Amino acid sequence: MIDLKNVCFTYQKESTVKDISFHIGKGEFVAIIGSNGAGKTTLSKLLNGILKPCSGTVSIMGMDTKKTKTSILARHIGFLFQNPDRQICKNTVADEIRFGLEQILKDKSLIQQRLDNVIAYFGFDPAANPFRLSRGERQKLALASVIAAEPEVLVLDEPTTGLDYSECMQIMNIIRQLNEKGITVVMVCHDMEVVLDFARRVLVLSEGRLIADGETREIFRQEEVLRRASILPPQITQLALRLGEGFEQVFTVEEMARNLLARTRPQYIGTVRRETA
Amino acid sequence: MITIDGLTFQYKNSTQNALQDIHLTIEDGDFLGIIGESGAGKTTLIRALNGIIPHHFPGDYYGSVKIDGQDTFDVTPSALSLKVGTVFQDIDSQMISSVVEDEILFGLENFSIPREEIESRLSGALEAVGIPQLRYRNIAHLSGGQKQKVAIAAIIALRPKILLLDEPTSELDPQSSLVFFRLLKELNESYGMTVIVVEQKIMLLSEFARKLVVMKNGRIIQNGAVREVLQKTAELRNSGINCPRVVTLANRLMELGVQLEGICVTVDEAETMARRLMYD
Repeated sequence: MIDLKNVCFTYQKESTVKDISFHIGKGEFVAIIGSNGAGKTTLSKLLNGILKPCSGTVSIMGMDTKKTKTSILARHIGFLFQNPDRQICKNTVADEIRFGLEQILKDKSLIQQRLDNVIAYFGFDPAANPFRLSRGERQKLALASVIAAEPEVLVLDEPTTGLDYSECMQIMNIIRQLNEKGITVVMVCHDMEVVLDFARRVLVLSEGRLIADGETREIFRQEEVLRRASILPPQITQLALRLGEGFEQVFTVEEMARNLLARTRPQYIGTVRRETA
Repeated sequence: MITIDGLTFQYKNSTQNALQDIHLTIEDGDFLGIIGESGAGKTTLIRALNGIIPHHFPGDYYGSVKIDGQDTFDVTPSALSLKVGTVFQDIDSQMISSVVEDEILFGLENFSIPREEIESRLSGALEAVGIPQLRYRNIAHLSGGQKQKVAIAAIIALRPKILLLDEPTSELDPQSSLVFFRLLKELNESYGMTVIVVEQKIMLLSEFARKLVVMKNGRIIQNGAVREVLQKTAELRNSGINCPRVVTLANRLMELGVQLEGICVTVDEAETMARRLMYD
């Protein structure tokens, strides 16, 4: 689906992506993590062809991004910018979504059909003015416009920044549903709890290099790798690492609670309220 | 001391109150976190504290905000700004100079700080936020985290008693966010500055703030010591706020019948709790 071979990218003189290679298969849910300036956003822009590698190759579904027009790539790969206001440009929700569709489709009835579907899916008021929506709603609209094109790959640059918790969960649950339908998701994300809960694989960047690539839970236990990338693991993982032996498989609150309960000395166990039928 | 008494505010052309009957007292030297869903009124509250409301945003205004007894309704925001410094949500809109040094000098000169004091205030502010090396750099070439520090240095140079910050870490990565909150803690503890910060990252507030205000639909629905407020997990969840996972863990253990003396709000505390349960 996505193949990078020895990809390098240099802005002016400073190289921001250094010799990166990886393969992402269909239906994967991958997070890219790293500190500010590690090259995450650059890498995400290399994936959709906005940027072309200075050396090495990026291939999306067999298409070399250097040899393929960005507009052709855009039919297969959807990109959500960090700030929705950089992509919203029309005065109604319906026009905003239609605008994107018109760039890739000719058939008016098909455009209308896709538009109706996506508006129903998100529960938007089609006549609403995008600029009067809250930040979370604008983020949803930007996501809707991207999804309307029915891309096979979705690249998201910090989809939850600036959102409150419930907005964040709404957006992430939509992305999870899309992934369950088979869409490949690659997401740059700063929130390690979100990464733990949603991504199955993690790529760790530090100073432009890929320093780790693996299953999410495995990566979060690699303290040395995370330290190099200036990342703190999610709270429960931090706790599990400190508690050491016996907590290697503990990542969620429920896993930690059950594990601790099993080891708690009897004097701390009170009477438990039991649910009656 | 800040006293907000019965503050209700509706923006002109709006149909609902952005703030509804706010009562709040903030003592000198407090470190207060404000959290709530978007649209809860957090930014409006900050604007009412620095006088931007009502002086730049007209609307229906009831009640009062007093800073050391001075009603913000009666004085201009610029008269207040030596006492109350604000770091806004959108840092770029706050920057007006192209060079770091000029950005800080701008405030100092505008407030007619005596010439012989300017250099020490300028270098002191850069020192306090840890960026003396950026003094002559072009702001446009700085990272988000560095710009944040310049914005705060420009405010600190004016030596306000009260520092207001509206989502200062929204563009920062977790490591930079942590470093930034350590800086706020330092300003609070070493300089006695009152810190009032709107922040979505509950983990940061749990670790650094001493008091927490939760807002929803223009109202304050929780107000108290951080630990007391975090204990009300169910109420927080209803307000769209996610507790730190160690808090959720403690609450879950109690549900499962484990007897705890209280919740833990940081990983350090959770570790102590876990070790006690297993080995004591």
